[in-house]
Amino acid sequence: MNIAAADWQALWLTLKLAGLTTLLLFIIGVPLAWKLSQWQSRWRHGIEVLITLPLVLPPTVLGFYLLLLFSPNYAPGQWLSQLFDGPLVFSFTGLVFASVIYSLPFMVQPLLAAFNANGQRLTQAAAALGIPPWVVLLKVLLPASRAAIVSACALTFAHTLGEFGVVLMIGGAIPGETQVVSIALYQHVEAMEYGAAHRLALMLMGITTVLLLAARWLGHRLAPRGSSSERAKPVMGVLG
Amino acid sequence: MEITLPLFGTASTISDSTGLSVVGLVTPLNAAAPWQLELPASGIFGLTGPSGSGKSTLLAVLAGQRHCRGNITFANTVWQRGRRALATHKRTLSLGFQDSRLFAGQSVAGNLALARRYSRRPLPEEECGRLLKAFGIEPLLHQPVELLSGGEAQRVAVLRQLFNNAPLQLFDEPLSAVDRARVLRRLLPTLRDFWSRYPALVIWTSHDFDEIQLLAQRCFWMDSANLSAPLPLPEVAQRLDSHGVGDSCRSRIEARVESLNDGLLTLDLGGISIFADRVAGHYRKGDTAAFLLEAGDISLSVEKPGLSSILNCLQVTLVAKQNLTDGRIRLRLAAADQVFYADISRLSCERLELREGTTYFAQFKAGSLAGL
Repeated sequence: MNIAAADWQALWLTLKLAGLTTLLLFIIGVPLAWKLSQWQSRWRHGIEVLITLPLVLPPTVLGFYLLLLFSPNYAPGQWLSQLFDGPLVFSFTGLVFASVIYSLPFMVQPLLAAFNANGQRLTQAAAALGIPPWVVLLKVLLPASRAAIVSACALTFAHTLGEFGVVLMIGGAIPGETQVVSIALYQHVEAMEYGAAHRLALMLMGITTVLLLAARWLGHRLAPRGSSSERAKPVMGVLG
Repeated sequence: MEITLPLFGTASTISDSTGLSVVGLVTPLNAAAPWQLELPASGIFGLTGPSGSGKSTLLAVLAGQRHCRGNITFANTVWQRGRRALATHKRTLSLGFQDSRLFAGQSVAGNLALARRYSRRPLPEEECGRLLKAFGIEPLLHQPVELLSGGEAQRVAVLRQLFNNAPLQLFDEPLSAVDRARVLRRLLPTLRDFWSRYPALVIWTSHDFDEIQLLAQRCFWMDSANLSAPLPLPEVAQRLDSHGVGDSCRSRIEARVESLNDGLLTLDLGGISIFADRVAGHYRKGDTAAFLLEAGDISLSVEKPGLSSILNCLQVTLVAKQNLTDGRIRLRLAAADQVFYADISRLSCERLELREGTTYFAQFKAGSLAGL
């Protein structure tokens, strides 16, 4: 395959964005899902809906609000551009910021499902052996939810790879900064360069297929054979 | 959710007891009859009663895993005062569940190591090895817990709790899925032996009266969320019978240890030697040992029998006869200030012309003494 340097750049940028987003979301998502699974308040439903919103809203809606949030005309935007040393619109940092919000449900939902299924029983058992809460999370809940974690990370990564609408709204198509594969592909089609569009589309298809297959394989390996209830079956079902 | 206040967990003036003190504990279950408990710092207590009577709720409340009001103090530390409660992991206790709740995604060894690491009184290495052997867990150590059977999982869960060695140990039907022969032959003697060397305050909940008879001297009775004071075991047996809960045809007998050679234990029961084989526990001369004798394992003779492979022969007095619903007769026998039961057929009873107040000879094999 004959791929132009600009397309390689777009691919590298996309993988970097998806990887960074997955890493950040793992760090944010684990404690968030854990706290949510333990929280027994009416407000919990409100928060859960808020986290699910990016799943159902058109990406343009999300992009529009993010554009407003990043705007240097208002206080939040000014504060953010101070914090990140430059405006977030049309920047890679802005894309990471947006992707974290855009892919949040794909990380939190599988983790929440796993913590809800195992969480209370195992947390009670661990606390009743004198194990403090943070150790319970790291040494009991995370190992018990390994299959769900693999699935959550794979979904987050794959979902971020395919991001289009939000990027278009807040990132534009600056090569090496915000031009991800989906945008480059769109531009090839616009310019009627179908050969290049095919190559990028196939590559994205290939990467995501391999990724999801690998996640399934790993998920099955992590769930011991012959077990019944403890397995994270419903979560892996999302991938099927 | 628990609210933890800094003033909690520190020494308090409310109670000076070094044991467990529970005053006016109220849950939605027992609004009319608050629970009271006053227990020493060590000892084994049974807890039994009909299903759904609130036994598990009591344990959950002591562990701080359910809402309640009232005061709980253990070892001079306030665990609960009014509605304010100390978080579970800050209480010096352990609670074992009937459904085992092993930590998924880890091996048996991983589960045990975690419980030992957060123990407030870690056991010495050799003690852990001894327990592993007695519980038959050694071959399972490297298995993922998901592959264990129900009985194996329960054994691991109890062992995990022993490795934790908390000052207050609460058990909720912990051996219900383990086969009875193993429980009586290996596990109960091991537990009794363990707690004699590593004293703790233990509350053992079970529907199986044999477990309670072998472990505890006294037992709480819980019925419709009413908690009794600690009762002597015969009274608990009567209550269980009247509720049709337990069908215990095993009698508890105590005797003094004479010697232990090659797994054959010689006991002194009112001046007569009796023998038990395949003994699992550790005994020294002079110890008091309790064992269970199954009513169906005892045979009765009118005259003193001659030499026999049946090692044990006791002179007994027939106290009472009772017809069982299955056509057999249950005999209440007395020997050396102790009472036990023997079930025989109606035909035997007629042939031997058994009469109350008369002396007979009871025989039973060395293998029929359970729980030693």
